[in-house]
Amino acid sequence: MTRDNISVIRLKDILLVTVPPEPDDETVSAFQEKVLDVMASNEPRGLVLDISTVQTLDSFFARTLMETVQMAALMGTPTVIAGMRPDVAITATLLGLSFGRTLTARNMDSAFDLIIEKAAEDLSI
Amino acid sequence: MKTQSQIHATGGKGERVPAEVPPNQAAGSLGSDESYRLLVLTLRDYAILMLNPEGLVATWNPGAERFKGYRADEIIGKHFSIFYPAEALARDLPRIELEGATKLGVHEDVGWRVRKDGSQFWASVTISALRSDEGVLIGFSKVTKDLTLQRAAEARIKRQSDEILELATPVMQVWKGVVMAPLIGSLDSARTQQFMERLLNRVVETNSSVALVDIMGVPTIDTKTAQHLIESITAVRLLGAQVVLTGVRPGIAQTLVHLGINLADILTRSSLAGGLQVALNILKLEVVAKTRGLKE
Amino acid sequence: MTLRLNEDFPVNEEGDIVMARRLVREFALQRGFGSTDITRIVTAASELIRNIYVYAGKGFMRVSFNEEVVRVGITLTFSDQGPGIPDIAKAMEPGYSTGRSMGMGLSGSKRLMDELTIRSEVGKGTTVIIVKWLSK
Ligand SMILES: Nc1ncnc2c1ncn2[C@@H]1O[C@H](COP(=O)(O)OP(=O)(O)OP(=O)(O)O)[C@@H](O)[C@H]1O
Ligand SMILES: [Mg+2]
Repeated sequence: MTRDNISVIRLKDILLVTVPPEPDDETVSAFQEKVLDVMASNEPRGLVLDISTVQTLDSFFARTLMETVQMAALMGTPTVIAGMRPDVAITATLLGLSFGRTLTARNMDSAFDLIIEKAAEDLSI
Repeated sequence: MKTQSQIHATGGKGERVPAEVPPNQAAGSLGSDESYRLLVLTLRDYAILMLNPEGLVATWNPGAERFKGYRADEIIGKHFSIFYPAEALARDLPRIELEGATKLGVHEDVGWRVRKDGSQFWASVTISALRSDEGVLIGFSKVTKDLTLQRAAEARIKRQSDEILELATPVMQVWKGVVMAPLIGSLDSARTQQFMERLLNRVVETNSSVALVDIMGVPTIDTKTAQHLIESITAVRLLGAQVVLTGVRPGIAQTLVHLGINLADILTRSSLAGGLQVALNILKLEVVAKTRGLKE
Repeated sequence: MTLRLNEDFPVNEEGDIVMARRLVREFALQRGFGSTDITRIVTAASELIRNIYVYAGKGFMRVSFNEEVVRVGITLTFSDQGPGIPDIAKAMEPGYSTGRSMGMGLSGSKRLMDELTIRSEVGKGTTVIIVKWLSK
């Protein structure tokens, strides 16, 4: 049931995953599993995690997000975290959460652009 | 000053009567209209009264009537502790003040006092001992000034200066997709947090990819300030935009290096123009990426 | 679920974390905080409730309002009767964790709030009190 809260849409060969606004820990964990499952069966060119509705990003949720990004990278898929709210970005920074070099985008449009750009870079290597 | 007295005159209960002496009656006894006007103004702002050695009210002026609410015939002969709120009475404040004035000549205090209608006002009170030529205590003069409005004004000024502080760091859209924020003055954590909030909100509102943060107007940078700056930059990145730090003067560059602050990850330029160029380059890169995307 | 001021909200299971967050958000809004401050307060609360759940199993949260002449505030108290923290200074260091986690909860909460106080006794339990002020 928690898994159903997480919407996964496939657009061309990019997976768009929408994270629910106030997920409990179970949903957060389900989110990671679901993303990995869908990736295994789709082999997308990129993954966009839409967190534009997320109001509270605590260290547990942030860690799960980061892990998911790293796992996707191991599977050869670039990930963009898109739509973080200003409040959440400020809070995450003060909390000391480091998203390292994770790709971020303001909205879906730029997230898709980033992935296309990234894929083109990888091809040219 | 004028409004102050007007508010007292209208703010209380109905029994107050206009307390000024008409100018034409008093003018003769004083040198000029001007000095009369000054005197009346003074009287309006101050309650000036005499107490006998026991603390009973001996004289009463229009100013006192105006803002304490009692008429002379109601108050003369009453003990002055009537002006004090219960809390001050519990501390025995009236007696302490008279003793202080007796011992030292003058006693000053700032605190809440009570009007006839029970409302309280914030007052500065000066009680001076009056002595005869032989040094015998013959009473006290008590000057009370109503500072309620002043107190409110100070609070307002503080609020306004907070707002000015906010205004000091506007975040302007200088180009489609580019916002610019000139930082002026020193940065403490309260200010940086305000700045961060506004910068991030503007980036989202204007859907910008680049934020130029100009530190030309920042006099000095210490580790703490640098830390705050880096936090702001990190937060902007989480939104999916980039920060270009501009106006990095030689002195500041030196300090940053000496402090061991690593800004290697951050795009910096010495001039705002240079920063704008970088911003445009970043935008162009995006345009290139988009066209490439369409072709694929 | 409603909670009154100064009343204990019990934390027993994982689901209580989300519920507590929701309650804290409502109280902070009622207190008059702006959205960024609300996010800060709720996030700090989330960290501290999770610590109760992870390290002590259960405990409670309490919300109170502070009133002063020039400012008002919100105080959140998190209490448990769990194992306690042997070295508070160490637990406050960013990156220190006995739970193989990021170790950001306590240090981060301190940065998100205006005040953070910890009282803890090994074997007896832990109380963390956080305060955020709002000038009038
Ligand atoms: N309520 C508590 N009872 C007992 N020990 C605690 C409690 N809260 C925190 N601690 C101890 O303090 C350490 C630091 O806590 P903190 O919340 O900063 O990090 P964490 O919980 O380990 O990781 P994170 O919060 O980043 O997931 C914990 O690892 C734990 O040892
Ligand atoms: Mg924790």
